[in-house]
Amino acid sequence: MTRPRIDPRASRTEQRVASGENGRRRYDLSSRTASNPIGPPRRDPRQEWAASLIDRPGRRRYDRSQRPVARGGASNVEAARVGSAAEAVSTEPTVRIIEEPAFLVFAFVDAPGGRLSRFDRQVLGGARLLADAGGGGGAVVAIVAEEIDGLGAAGADRVMSLPTNGSASARAAALRAAIETHAPRHVLFAEDGDAADCARRLSVALGEPLFSNVEHLTARQVVRPNRGRRAELAAAPPRLMTLGEDRAKMHAGAPGEARPLEFETAPSDDQAILSVEIIPGDPARLALSETDFVVSAGNGVTDFEGFRELAALMKGTPGASRVVCDAGLMPRGAQVGASGTVLAADCYFALGISGAPQHLQGIAACEQVIAVNTDLHAAMIERAGLAIVQDAQLVMPALIKLLKERQS
Amino acid sequence: MKSVVLLSDARHPVSGRAVLSRLEAQAIGLGTALGGTLTGLHAGDCEDGVQESLGHGLSALDILSLPPEADPVSALTDFLKAQKADLILAGRRGEGGFDSGLLPYALAEALGLPILADAVALTPGEATDTLVVDQALAKGARRRVTVRLPALVTVHPLAPAPLPFAFGAMRRGTIRRHVAEAADASTDPVEERPYRARPKLMRTSSATASAENLHVGPEPEEAARLILDYLESNGIRRYG
Repeated sequence: MTRPRIDPRASRTEQRVASGENGRRRYDLSSRTASNPIGPPRRDPRQEWAASLIDRPGRRRYDRSQRPVARGGASNVEAARVGSAAEAVSTEPTVRIIEEPAFLVFAFVDAPGGRLSRFDRQVLGGARLLADAGGGGGAVVAIVAEEIDGLGAAGADRVMSLPTNGSASARAAALRAAIETHAPRHVLFAEDGDAADCARRLSVALGEPLFSNVEHLTARQVVRPNRGRRAELAAAPPRLMTLGEDRAKMHAGAPGEARPLEFETAPSDDQAILSVEIIPGDPARLALSETDFVVSAGNGVTDFEGFRELAALMKGTPGASRVVCDAGLMPRGAQVGASGTVLAADCYFALGISGAPQHLQGIAACEQVIAVNTDLHAAMIERAGLAIVQDAQLVMPALIKLLKERQS
Repeated sequence: MKSVVLLSDARHPVSGRAVLSRLEAQAIGLGTALGGTLTGLHAGDCEDGVQESLGHGLSALDILSLPPEADPVSALTDFLKAQKADLILAGRRGEGGFDSGLLPYALAEALGLPILADAVALTPGEATDTLVVDQALAKGARRRVTVRLPALVTVHPLAPAPLPFAFGAMRRGTIRRHVAEAADASTDPVEERPYRARPKLMRTSSATASAENLHVGPEPEEAARLILDYLESNGIRRYG
């Protein structure tokens, strides 16, 4: 047992309310006591139903999908449709401005290609949690190498740009200088790629311990696995931490202002590194689990020569549904879904796929889904961010023609 | 070229038996393909798992006898200084200890060597005493770095699969045992307790199906334009 046991008699005694001499014994059951501090807060079911009510005239409808939907935006759309556009209130979220931060929390944002990934947003969300800890007043400083959009919405109050010349040791040295100047309370990294490398270089250079691969992050405690997941270590949040993937929530509150924070360092050079060259991945030859964009064919596609040409022109990795792979029209390695590959791609383009549950499991992690299907009521059309009800065999040649026009 | 592979005391995740870590087996594969002499180095008291490395292509194995709780950095530094290896290979996270992946960095600092993380391919450079290291980046990209030897390189899980295991080779391999001076690990006020698996966040899509993004029966040309605009506005790809 790792959690403290609750003593019901002691907590009942503590909840007793002082009453008169010969009055009845009375208890305040809603009070949190020292011996039962972790009781869940009470739910208000009426308020929950009211919050999930879709603002639409006519029959009452509820959205219980628990997805964060911009209700204000939805009501605006409805209001505009009815014609009372003047009454529409502005839903632009107010930017939270922290002028004089009590302390700083650095979040190292890698963002390959200048686009914030899920993991980067989670690191910023974790830093936001630490900055709001203990009365709040802290500011999140995103450490970036290039200009990135959407840092404010992800929870960053300040942005510090540390120029990189491709050398990991130079970047770590610049970050070390920034840490010595600004003395942040915490520095948070992703346990992945260059961020994990930089965290370890920094830990050795500063001589400070690194709390790596954090699996449980709260303002009071961090927990990480130890000895091959046979034990775990728990401590108060230390200065240097790396966060595991899918372990902290993304920031969902008011956006930060992402104000630039100037910092000048003299670029250093690593004498042992003779040359650095970046080789971009070739989407046609990448494994499905590694790629960021999948173009996938289902039963609605019959022209597979055209499909391969389209995938190459769109610079995506070709995938397929189980039906197509069973028929031998695409290799088994291209199968997406529960019995094929579970994707981690950013975007999924489904051509003629209706969306069986096993297929949808395989694309659960994809942020953007585009579906082309003849059936309006297909599950894939419901899942998609952009849904087009049209024959995939007609859309494919039109796409190829348009892509060739744009490239020439 | 003289290369050394650092081996950790890994445990099988299900049975808990001592095994060779897969990352280190992959490191042996990369080092063998490079040519020259390749030996293994382990600091600790358990030989059951690390001697499997002899069956995966190592010719000899050095074991520094240390109690399991001791800090191995100083013992490894002294040994490697005497060895004068050109290339030191390691998995990017050792297993069985603190699992923090800090040891290669601490060693590189103590030996004054450059360190390159997450290698998936190693090739000899054009000039002598150089090495071309391909580092794995996100989304299938690679960073090709030319480094002057001696250097320390850690290996990524996307490196080629390890060489097949051969029992005879394991029996024929040499194991050299050395006595090392144990340094006390720094005691830090961190609470250790039995591992408890914690759930990861669910990966749900942020995009919801909305009425303005549903197009019923558009012309194919219009559909193609909509798809490319959607891809470009979300920053997935740029065309033209």
